[in-house]
Amino acid sequence: MTLLAVEGLSVRYGQLTALRDASLMLDEGETLFVTGPNGAGKSTLMKAIAGVVRPAAGCIRLGGRDITGEAPETIARLGFSMVPEGRQVFGELTVDENLRLGAGMRGDRAGAARDLESVFESFPMLKERRDGAAGLLSGGQQQMLVIARALMTRPRLVAIDEPSLGLAPLVIDQVYELLLRLRAERRLTLLVVEQSSTRATMTGGRMMLLRSGRVVLEGDARELNASGAVERAYFGYSDAEEPA
Amino acid sequence: MTRAPSIMAKTVSTPLILIAILAAIAIAVDAFGSGPLARTVIEMLIRVVLVVGIWIFVGNSGIISFGHVGFMCLGAYAAAWLTIPPMLKQISLRGLPEFLLENQFPFWPSALAASLLPAVFALILGPVLMRLAGIAASIATFAMLAVINTVYSNWSTVTGGTSSVIGIPTVTDVWIALGMASGAIVIAWLYAISRSGLALRAARDEAIAAQASGVNIERERLIAFVLSAFVCGAAGVLYAHFLGIITPDAFFLTATFVALSMLVVGGINSLSGAVIGVVFISVIIQLLRWMERGVQVGETTVAIPSGAQEIAIGLVMIVILIFRPAGLLGNREIVWTSRREPRVARTQPAE
Amino acid sequence: MTAVLQILFDALSLGSLYALGALGIALIFGVMRLVNFAHGDYISFSIFALLWPTTAATTILFLGQVPPAVLIPFVILIGAGVSVLSEILVFRRLRDANPATLMIASFALGFVIKNLLLMLYSSRPKSLSILPGLAQQVEIGGARIPLLQVVTVAATIVILIALTAFLKRTRFGLEMRAAAQDFTMARMLGVRANRVILLAFAISGMLAGAIGLAIVVQTGTADINMGLSVMLVAFIATVIGGLGSLYGAVVAGFLIGGASVLMQVILPLDARPFRDAFVYALVIVVLLWRPQGLFAPRTAKQRV
Repeated sequence: MTLLAVEGLSVRYGQLTALRDASLMLDEGETLFVTGPNGAGKSTLMKAIAGVVRPAAGCIRLGGRDITGEAPETIARLGFSMVPEGRQVFGELTVDENLRLGAGMRGDRAGAARDLESVFESFPMLKERRDGAAGLLSGGQQQMLVIARALMTRPRLVAIDEPSLGLAPLVIDQVYELLLRLRAERRLTLLVVEQSSTRATMTGGRMMLLRSGRVVLEGDARELNASGAVERAYFGYSDAEEPA
Repeated sequence: MTRAPSIMAKTVSTPLILIAILAAIAIAVDAFGSGPLARTVIEMLIRVVLVVGIWIFVGNSGIISFGHVGFMCLGAYAAAWLTIPPMLKQISLRGLPEFLLENQFPFWPSALAASLLPAVFALILGPVLMRLAGIAASIATFAMLAVINTVYSNWSTVTGGTSSVIGIPTVTDVWIALGMASGAIVIAWLYAISRSGLALRAARDEAIAAQASGVNIERERLIAFVLSAFVCGAAGVLYAHFLGIITPDAFFLTATFVALSMLVVGGINSLSGAVIGVVFISVIIQLLRWMERGVQVGETTVAIPSGAQEIAIGLVMIVILIFRPAGLLGNREIVWTSRREPRVARTQPAE
Repeated sequence: MTAVLQILFDALSLGSLYALGALGIALIFGVMRLVNFAHGDYISFSIFALLWPTTAATTILFLGQVPPAVLIPFVILIGAGVSVLSEILVFRRLRDANPATLMIASFALGFVIKNLLLMLYSSRPKSLSILPGLAQQVEIGGARIPLLQVVTVAATIVILIALTAFLKRTRFGLEMRAAAQDFTMARMLGVRANRVILLAFAISGMLAGAIGLAIVVQTGTADINMGLSVMLVAFIATVIGGLGSLYGAVVAGFLIGGASVLMQVILPLDARPFRDAFVYALVIVVLLWRPQGLFAPRTAKQRV
């Protein structure tokens, strides 16, 4: 079943068009990677879905419901959990408080408490530091925290913007390991933004490539990469003018 | 400055149109208006000088200043010191230095000197204040205003303390006010198109990029600060010679906020916004004054209750800000296009 | 020793007003980057609501001589009410405006409230004796301290403890602290923006009401501009405390109160009228030393 459907989405900042006529579909349980160079409009796409920026045109549906132009909290409450770029932990809040904030929109306290325990099982490191300020965690730990926090909302869809940004390769491996495990355990639907297509190829799943605010390529990550289409699209060569 | 001529030619219509608007109002009121209305117009023109003065710094640097009415205060008191007849000064302002106590200076040299005092003050304090940015800078300018107000309210032998200083020759008429307002607009325009003005606006919009390309933000800010202090000082001079009587509290919070409100309602990022904001709010104030006195509707006179005028002004401002958060003119300047029709043009991108 | 104690209580009670005011301004700044210049007028409004509208010099209490147990909550609720109303009628419609526009809008709103009061009550200060029991003095460690000062300080401590507990222990408190750090992220976790902002306005207004009470008991008069000086100092305290830091706002409020009282004592007689000039000059010095304020949140925006 289609969980997220984006049709003809455009976003403008003043006179600058950051996203042009982008469309995507995401089925329940599926993983979609959105890749593309700097300034391609990836983050803008995420922010538009999350309701943080208002699209100039287009339509976003989540679970069949039109969420275009809704407030971020409304969209979050409908099951879209966003992990924005740059690991936005609440630095002055404790790890525990960060996590409880994620559970806030759910009525059931008992369920939230159970989820907190299961998160601590998956992330033993967070349990150790639960009463410490989140701002004092390392970059990798913060990334784990924001992912865990997103899970606390019991999302139908988790969107992660550049989880590997500014992290050491070894830590990135850990983050992805965790994501894959969670995907398997909880049958998560994932929308992941990355600059490079390497992770998409390694992880497997569908991939689309944005460049200058447009979707230029879409398909199975491994197949696309093997064919070399990604590289060509990434650097802006159309098939007709292939480099020598 | 090699590019200045083309910028000049391209933008000169803005100050000309603004001056023409003010001149038209002044001439119309002089020809058909009553005494009270003429006074309203003079008040408006003085406010134009003040708000344009504030704009030179705030509009170009992007730093909201609460302190500029303090410069107006310095200018007004300096004008009083220079032009009150010595006999009066020797009674009420005994603490003044000898040469001020003994002499009385004519209007124009005094006006220049009195406007220079706040400029020098800004030049001394500026290097310290300009190191701050954002809201810290705003608070620091407010602290400066508070210091000026406290000193002028208590330094009784020199400023008369909180009691009024009287006996300032009332020479400000519509034409002097119009002339000074025009002068302020021209100064503001010349600054805006100067290297310093361009650099400062670039720094306002893209601080890091501008700094990387060698803009010394602190120095450009200081230039704008001193120049705007000079113009605000001139507003104080005009004001002192308009009323003939001044108190420190005339140059404190209410005046500050009225001036800032006019600037924001007009549009903080453009010179046209500064001028149009003053004209617009002044016109509304005048309309409401008339309504308070009563308007003939058929047989009956309809009047709004007294005191409702201020409330209405506040409400009008709120409504304008809700519907036009970037002010009446947004970021635009009024320009005269080659097609010979006044048009509003965008001087900078929206972001 | 007794003199020191007196000075200490002077400083603490003045600092209490500044701290509560700074807290009220910081709460709202934290969640919506609004420097609320109408705050001082909430203070006046909540007191004038006690009075029957009349432009005559006589003072008629709206509620008559009601017991303090009714009067105090009434004033505080009025403060909360006018604050909440201003959010719903004005600030909610300015969500996307820049801070300068917001600030000017708040000034315009304060202007409207002030002139409304002027129209209804005239500019004449009204003498008003509420809670007359607080006028007496008590002896503490040999010093005679006005009871009002003791009560003001004690009430402030209670308010601060209650507010801390609210912020630390409740769901709403958690949401407010999160919103103050990063509103967008909080919203993406389902925190309802309008509700948090409304709550911040309500608490801020309650604090305004409490300040109004303290001032009116102390001075015995209700004046249209009674909230102004507290609001201005509170506003400065918010900035030098570090914008966004509630804790910093409170500490800075007490510091400015302390500095004012101390300067009153140590400045030579000739310079005393200029006390405020020295206080404000000190503010500039503090800003130059710490442009982000004394207690700027360190970890809030730090990225690895």
